[in-house]
Amino acid sequence: MFLRCSKFPRGAPLRVAVISLAAAMLAACVPIQHLSVPGGHTDAYGAPISNQQVSSGGTLVMGLSGDPDELDPTTSSSSLTRNVLSAICEKLYDTNASGKIVPQLATALPTISGDGRTVTIPVRTGIVFADGTAFNAKAVRTSLWRHLTSATSARTSEMGPIDSIKATDATHVVLHFKRAFAPITAALADRAGMIMSPTALAAKGDNFGESPVCVGPFKFVNRVPQTSITVTRDPLYYDAAHVHLDKIIYRIMPDANIRAANLRSGDIQVADTISPQDVDVLDKDPKLKVLQSNYLGYRGIVINTGNVDGAGKPPKAINTPMARDSRVRAAFAYSIDRKTSVNTVFNNWFDPACSPIAPSTQYASAASNACPAFNPQRSRQLLAAAGVHVPLKVTLKVANTQDELRYAEALQASVAEGGFDLQIVPVEYSTLLTMRKSGDFELMQTGWSGRIDPDGNTTSFLATAASSNFGGFSSAQLDDLLARAAEITDTAKRAELYGQAVKLIQRENPIVYLYRMRNLTVYSTRVAGVEMYSDGLVRLGKAAFVSGQEG
Amino acid sequence: MLRYLFHRLWQSAVTLVLASIVVFVGVRALPGDPALAMAGENADPATIKAIRAQLGLDQSLPVQYLRFAGHALTGDFGKSTATGMPVNQMIGATLPVTIQLALYAMAIAVLAGMTAGVVAAVFRGRWPEWAANGFSLLALSVPTFWVGILAILYLSVQLGWFPASGYVALSENPLRWMYYLTLPALILGISHAAVIQRQTRASMVGTLTADFVRTARAKGLGSGAVILRYGLRNSLIVVTTVIGLQLGGLIAGGVVTERIFSLPGMGKLTLDSVFTRDYPVIQAVVLVVTAAYIVINLLIDLLYTAIDPRIRVSGRAQ
Amino acid sequence: MTAIAETPAETPVANLGRVRGRVVRKLLHNPMGLVGGALLLIVILAGVLAPWLAPYSPTEVHFSTPFQQPGTVGFALGTDDLGRDVLSRVLYGARASFEVGVLSVLLAVVVGVPLGLLSGYWHWLDTLVSRLADLMLAFPFLILAVGLAAINGGGLGNAAIALGIANIPTMIRVVRAETLRLKDTDFVLAAHTMDAGAWRILGQHILPNALSAIIVQATVIMPAAVLGEAVLSFLGLGIQPPKPSLGIMLSDAQQYLFRTPWPAVFPGIVIALICLGFNLFGDALRDALDPKTGK
Repeated sequence: MFLRCSKFPRGAPLRVAVISLAAAMLAACVPIQHLSVPGGHTDAYGAPISNQQVSSGGTLVMGLSGDPDELDPTTSSSSLTRNVLSAICEKLYDTNASGKIVPQLATALPTISGDGRTVTIPVRTGIVFADGTAFNAKAVRTSLWRHLTSATSARTSEMGPIDSIKATDATHVVLHFKRAFAPITAALADRAGMIMSPTALAAKGDNFGESPVCVGPFKFVNRVPQTSITVTRDPLYYDAAHVHLDKIIYRIMPDANIRAANLRSGDIQVADTISPQDVDVLDKDPKLKVLQSNYLGYRGIVINTGNVDGAGKPPKAINTPMARDSRVRAAFAYSIDRKTSVNTVFNNWFDPACSPIAPSTQYASAASNACPAFNPQRSRQLLAAAGVHVPLKVTLKVANTQDELRYAEALQASVAEGGFDLQIVPVEYSTLLTMRKSGDFELMQTGWSGRIDPDGNTTSFLATAASSNFGGFSSAQLDDLLARAAEITDTAKRAELYGQAVKLIQRENPIVYLYRMRNLTVYSTRVAGVEMYSDGLVRLGKAAFVSGQEG
Repeated sequence: MLRYLFHRLWQSAVTLVLASIVVFVGVRALPGDPALAMAGENADPATIKAIRAQLGLDQSLPVQYLRFAGHALTGDFGKSTATGMPVNQMIGATLPVTIQLALYAMAIAVLAGMTAGVVAAVFRGRWPEWAANGFSLLALSVPTFWVGILAILYLSVQLGWFPASGYVALSENPLRWMYYLTLPALILGISHAAVIQRQTRASMVGTLTADFVRTARAKGLGSGAVILRYGLRNSLIVVTTVIGLQLGGLIAGGVVTERIFSLPGMGKLTLDSVFTRDYPVIQAVVLVVTAAYIVINLLIDLLYTAIDPRIRVSGRAQ
Repeated sequence: MTAIAETPAETPVANLGRVRGRVVRKLLHNPMGLVGGALLLIVILAGVLAPWLAPYSPTEVHFSTPFQQPGTVGFALGTDDLGRDVLSRVLYGARASFEVGVLSVLLAVVVGVPLGLLSGYWHWLDTLVSRLADLMLAFPFLILAVGLAAINGGGLGNAAIALGIANIPTMIRVVRAETLRLKDTDFVLAAHTMDAGAWRILGQHILPNALSAIIVQATVIMPAAVLGEAVLSFLGLGIQPPKPSLGIMLSDAQQYLFRTPWPAVFPGIVIALICLGFNLFGDALRDALDPKTGK
């Protein structure tokens, strides 16, 4: 390739600006800064229709931020797809507004045996799937077995070390584990807990996603690729009395400002993933309301410390200062002004993050919320102690999407003062995925959409030779902590173990956590009953047009 | 004539096969893996392997190509790796939108462009020419997507004249269809109108100053008749060429407009399919676009003979 | 994203030196051409001198002063969301746009002109080259651009290659048409009778006379490439941040258009000015090269 961009001369004004900025920040800083939980914004989950006057019927249009993948709970891997599936496929368990797991198609929380290896789930009876097939334990078993064993399933690892699944009678399903696996309940409150009609599964097999049939307030009508997905009210749904809308059309609108423009013009009533750049304007619009919740996932930088043969393979030594010396990684973490960069790039809407444990969940603790403060002096000291020449040139691979690149640019300015010369290499997303897996990077800006159970945010990314341990990190101590935390069921004890894990992670810095997005959804005041909790799922099942606003 | 047609068809087939090979090898040479894109952010290696096997990606390239070509000949392009839907269904849903947008935009471009071109040629050296020329220069110089974004911001959001985005099928409600498609077609048509205006003007000026037209005038033919009989007829040939060149491009080139107005056309499908390494969709899209281009050009060439019998089909002058 | 010149210029085949003088004279008497030329000169100078003219580095982030209005002291055209100076970025962006334009014209010329000459001169090569040109014209340009971007994440070179390739077929056709026309002219036939070799005829007689058509086509490709760069960067396929480009500035600004439209206004204007300059100048050049237009 010819004419690669030359390095621009860095003039004196930059240094002055950054130094004075750094000085201002330092004056206000203590070594460990506890982030307020949650950040600067208060969550707004929306509310169910209580005594509001609503009308029956109408078609609600939701602007969806991307084209979902296959509408098959077993194979789907896009978090967007969950929005659509949530209207047509209920799960064994659901998350409620306070982040607690509550039964949905199950009738109670599972009973777990003393050794934690047998999990018994009581399920509903007397209800039917959208195609009229009876719902019972056998149907549940069929779906769970497909989630667990289908070759192309994206659920297998979420479900843990299951040995067998049995329907002991019409109302009970029993899962046997090879060893205790605490995260199973949370997994069943997500796609792994979605139950598909056995009749439809038998008829469609791998093509189930072309016209999914489940239990839900709505049933699938059709999908026009790149355009829309339409669902209609299911008269067979067990709680049909509380379903008001006739139809929901999910219209695919990938551009954030197009979604915003459509909300303002009234062409759509709901839209997900509103850009932080637009949300202030929409918030001021009296015809619109903003829903927001903390993100369970994170964005961060993976440092390649041992991924030579590919993620999931035993790590090998890499001979760069970043890879071999944890002091250099710690220096990098100290050189990041998380607060300023995230506030600038995301218009004060997202929160800095320093750990994989979301502060909004019950597994968060003072230890897991702790955050090393921005300290460029400390960074330079550590670099000097490690004997590296300053500035240390490091290369960061970033997906070539706007938000990612803008954050990387802010980061570049931030870490310069700490002694790092950050080179940004934008990479197209699919290529990035391949590079991430094969270990073809020094630093990579990446992220994870997050799970309610902290195990889903840690083990597969940090445990030695785990499938998504892209940096090839390996620490026997961390492996042990994470394994123990996954096996016990007591929330407080788990929180404490995860706190210890975070401490270790912040010392070793295999992943430098940067920020947590917020789920931002906006809806029109013409509709009521739109809800979104901390899982970011936009729930439209029980929504309705306010009386006199059907339009 | 028949021999000529046969010859053209044979050429077209060669181009199509070449295109299919280029794209087939090309997409597989790209870094990135559809199985990885399909398996999502946290996939385990066994799943990825299973997906690769399901997609047939574990086989050798020639075997994969022959399988693809065999199926393609029967009209079966397989299943999208990104959405799990049949590729035929995806193209069937998006291609009509793109074609409608292209034709609508082209209709606007031809109408506006030829009118402005004729005006500029007839009123040579006076203000209408300056206005028409100035407009087309400006239209050629401003980025289309920028105009589109501004139009949404002012015409749709602030004034509410047009919908900000969306699409209603022509078969469903023609009036709504027009309501939704007019602004995108206008935006897409502007730059093409400019090209047509310039071509029309140039060709009209050329014709109107030609000797045989002067003679006709001298013989007392009215200027309206002169413009119609000689000027327009000649410029029609030029304009047809331009339409041919541009329409093919429009099928593939509406991407930005489709994206700004969230139109469910094939342009967006094209972009997304490459981003997600959706091999079956990319292959089908390239074949469809190539075929569309070929067909349009064949039609244009045949049109020449209809407009001007003096042109023999085989001797198309460039 | 392909463009062709209007009616190929009738090339004078007589004394080249005298023609050149007449062309320059005509150009100097065309007010629109002068305006276009002046515009180009200003923008080119601004781009070339960007490192000296720009008050800041285009990538220099000022966390404390985002979204400054134009006219702010220190930031004549205001700042963007990261507090970067819009003026500096516009200057460097214009430079990048020119680089893309020039490189893609070069590519189109280097590949298109020889192929056009050959296919116009030798009939047996014509079929082969024409199929190739057909394929290039028919093949969706964007797939090519995305493909190139996928290989190394986009960039100035990729944008130039994609846009250059997109413009090769029209260049081939223009040069081929010229060659076909010139092949039958008296002086080429005369050269034939004097036993001049094919290469010599192509190089000494046909190419110099086809030059004006090539130049005109280049002035058509240039603005198309500048616009194309903006489109590609808008789609995330062209120049990649942190390197500034006018297209990137536009697509960035589109993100916060509801908050402030300013950072989007100036790059749009500069793109329009560059293209306007080329279009005006190209028109004047075409008129000047056309022996039919008076004096």
